[in-house]
Amino acid sequence: MAGAAVLERLTTRAPLVWRVATVRETVAESARARTLALDVPGWPGHRAGQHVDVRLTADDGYQAQRSYSIASAPELDGVELTVELVDGGEVSQYLVEEVQNGDEFELRGPIGGHFTWSVDDGGPLLLLAGGSGLVPLMSMLRHRAAQASDVATHVLISVRSEADRLYAAELAALEPPDGLRIAWTYTRVPPAGWSGWSRRVDAEMLRGLGPGPGARPHAFVCGPTGFVERVAQLLVDGGHDPRTIHAERFGPTGG
Amino acid sequence: MTELYTDGNHVAGLLAEFLAADMTSTLRRCQSCHGEHAIAEHRAYQGAGAVLRCPECGDVALRIAELDRDVVLEWRGTYRARRTG
Repeated sequence: MAGAAVLERLTTRAPLVWRVATVRETVAESARARTLALDVPGWPGHRAGQHVDVRLTADDGYQAQRSYSIASAPELDGVELTVELVDGGEVSQYLVEEVQNGDEFELRGPIGGHFTWSVDDGGPLLLLAGGSGLVPLMSMLRHRAAQASDVATHVLISVRSEADRLYAAELAALEPPDGLRIAWTYTRVPPAGWSGWSRRVDAEMLRGLGPGPGARPHAFVCGPTGFVERVAQLLVDGGHDPRTIHAERFGPTGG
Repeated sequence: MTELYTDGNHVAGLLAEFLAADMTSTLRRCQSCHGEHAIAEHRAYQGAGAVLRCPECGDVALRIAELDRDVVLEWRGTYRARRTG
């Protein structure tokens, strides 16, 4: 039986190969971020939280490669990436400002098994995003919605200002609302009349958001490296079991 | 300057291409400090190739690089790797 299980694992695992992705549609998410809906023939499907490697090749053969999180739910056909502009970033600049419908580039994925969640994993869920670190968490939220799961899910999104928010309208209307709690904190310029949090994530904020360590939530933290290190440490200091904390770090500036 | 690293998730594509398996959940026990952490939680420094470092002691865990069409992997900082069932 064990041999059969191993064999099944080996044979059902799709090989990780470079595939050609064609841009089907682009959607502006903010002044600095754009969603690319891609058709990827042969795409084997993904789990919420996974990412892809994107490879661009210039006419002279120069190649550049970056990792981007998948934003779309596994239930959706194709793949959607949300890419945020990185100052001086040659790949993000192309993907956010230049690429057009019908353009092609190479893509490898889905990648990653550590930073993933499905409704079968249960809850509660604690999703903590710094800026565009929201993207893989959005895939989890869309998966939860597609499965009509009411698993307790608390989300905290830290952004500099209102202009940096992603998916704000969709988040406000996410189904099912039962068990779902979404909070924002603005670290530089809160919106006019804002009475919520307007500071960097801290211990008091995490206590206010819940669920606490006693509930053993599956915690997913994604964002710039500094954000992730600080928030993961706050969770550990707050009593969360490190084994329940999953992190993904973007580097100094993100994406 | 302390935030220039990413993490093992960003090396997962190259590792998967080489080892034909996702390695992010694989637990690696460090040869230096014997701390055990998922590959995804390791610090990744990327230049001409990538270096993974132990998140606990900072010692080199694994190096991987593409050289021409080859992929070269060196993991001598690893005492033991464990895949949980």
